Amino acid sequence: MFCYNCGRQLSEHDFCTSCGVDVSLYKKIMCASNLYYNEGLEKAEVRDLAGAITSLRQSLKFNKNNVEARNLLGLVYYEMGEVVSALSEWVISKNLRPEKNIADDYINRLQSNSGRLDAVNQTIKKYNQAYTYCLQGSKDLAIIQLKKVLSLNSRYVRARQLLALLYIDSEQWEKAERELKKCLEIDRNNTLTLRYLKEVENVLLPDETVKQTTKRKKDEPIRYISDNEMIIQPVSVREPKNSGVATLVNLGIGLIIGLAVTYFLLVPSAESNARNEAQKQITEISNQSDAKTARIQELENENKRLTQDRELLQNNQDINDERLKAYDDLLAMASDYLANKNNDNAAAELERITTEVQLGEYSEGFEAFCDTLLKEIGPELSKKYYEEAYESFRKEEYGAAIEMFRKAIYYNPQNEDAYYFLARAYQKSEDTEKAIEAYKQFMEDFPNSPKVLNREIERYLLELGATVD
Amino acid sequence: MINFEEELKKFHPSLEVEGAEDAIYNQDLTDMADLLVKMIKESEEMAEEE
Repeated sequence: MFCYNCGRQLSEHDFCTSCGVDVSLYKKIMCASNLYYNEGLEKAEVRDLAGAITSLRQSLKFNKNNVEARNLLGLVYYEMGEVVSALSEWVISKNLRPEKNIADDYINRLQSNSGRLDAVNQTIKKYNQAYTYCLQGSKDLAIIQLKKVLSLNSRYVRARQLLALLYIDSEQWEKAERELKKCLEIDRNNTLTLRYLKEVENVLLPDETVKQTTKRKKDEPIRYISDNEMIIQPVSVREPKNSGVATLVNLGIGLIIGLAVTYFLLVPSAESNARNEAQKQITEISNQSDAKTARIQELENENKRLTQDRELLQNNQDINDERLKAYDDLLAMASDYLANKNNDNAAAELERITTEVQLGEYSEGFEAFCDTLLKEIGPELSKKYYEEAYESFRKEEYGAAIEMFRKAIYYNPQNEDAYYFLARAYQKSEDTEKAIEAYKQFMEDFPNSPKVLNREIERYLLELGATVD
Repeated sequence: MINFEEELKKFHPSLEVEGAEDAIYNQDLTDMADLLVKMIKESEEMAEEE
């Protein structure tokens, strides 16, 4: 304890040994502050938090510098959920004694967890909102809001008391009692809590006391209140004793009902299941059938295509066989001609080959070989046909003569006489048009022939009525 | 019997964190010791004047 005048340590005397001022009253004030602090501490130790607050505030009224009392007041506030009030006390305490002060530790713990501080602030805001709802008469909203507050901070005594008050107002006595008892677990001697609890118990207890003291009549129903509702338990009714026959009848009825239920409920269900199963199988088989049909169609198409390919290959093979035969014949003819130099046989064979085959469809080598043979054998063959044709011409068999002359020209295009007598044969057979054409062809192919130079051809043309260029 | 309206008047909004600073600054910290010192000083001044 220090002197208020000079700040020196005071002794057991009633005056300051340093400056001499009277400190008797000052000492009593300090003692009163300490006395209230001790009282507050004792109350806090037995969880009489409201009483502790009163004593500690009293202690601070005597001595604002009682840091221990202020720190304890902050702790008590914190325990009751009044976090901001606690923080305020600790901040003042720290300002009064900056060093070696436990309040510094409390503040640091609270401020180090910003999430915790935000949650505290949200809780307070919700409580204030609930209080506003109460003032506005929105009691249901206030109850909902207070439940949220208590879910965030279950030690918030003031919020719990307000919730209990709302329950009391709506005559939910059991809920109010539950909340008030929770309040007492935190603050055991809170006057407000005790008063509300007494009111609630006055409502709830009479029924319970009556239940304990009076004997309930057997025929009366049991009545009790739960959450503002009167619960009436029905009187127990004893069933009359059944006879054996009645039991059998009841069993029979039960059996019939069971069978009926089975028939009307279970059988249709089973039938339906069977139908569904059959339908499912039909669908599955149908799908398989469709797949097989598609496969058959696919195979038929494949078979048709292969048949066409086979026919095409057969045709190609026939053509190739024919060509191969032509090659063989031509080679055999050439071999025979080279071995025997028999023009007649070679000419006959070559004529047969050239009349049977279409030269354009064969290879260039085959055609060249035929041409070579024709040039080799052609003049002889042409001479032979010319002689036969001339003999026919002389016998005035002009049709056969024309045929032979054409062959003679085919095998030797330079056979001048054959051309001449072909034209003559046409003229003799009175085929004027072909005769004129043959004469003109002769003039064009053999312009230096004596028959042209001596105008014999021109004379024949004039006879036929043709014009000569 | 508890009157809800009357009981509600005993409750008041809680102090929020944002308002803590003002509450601390505006708190009346005058104690009995301050009053005693003030009274003694005033009485001494009156004695000197007399």
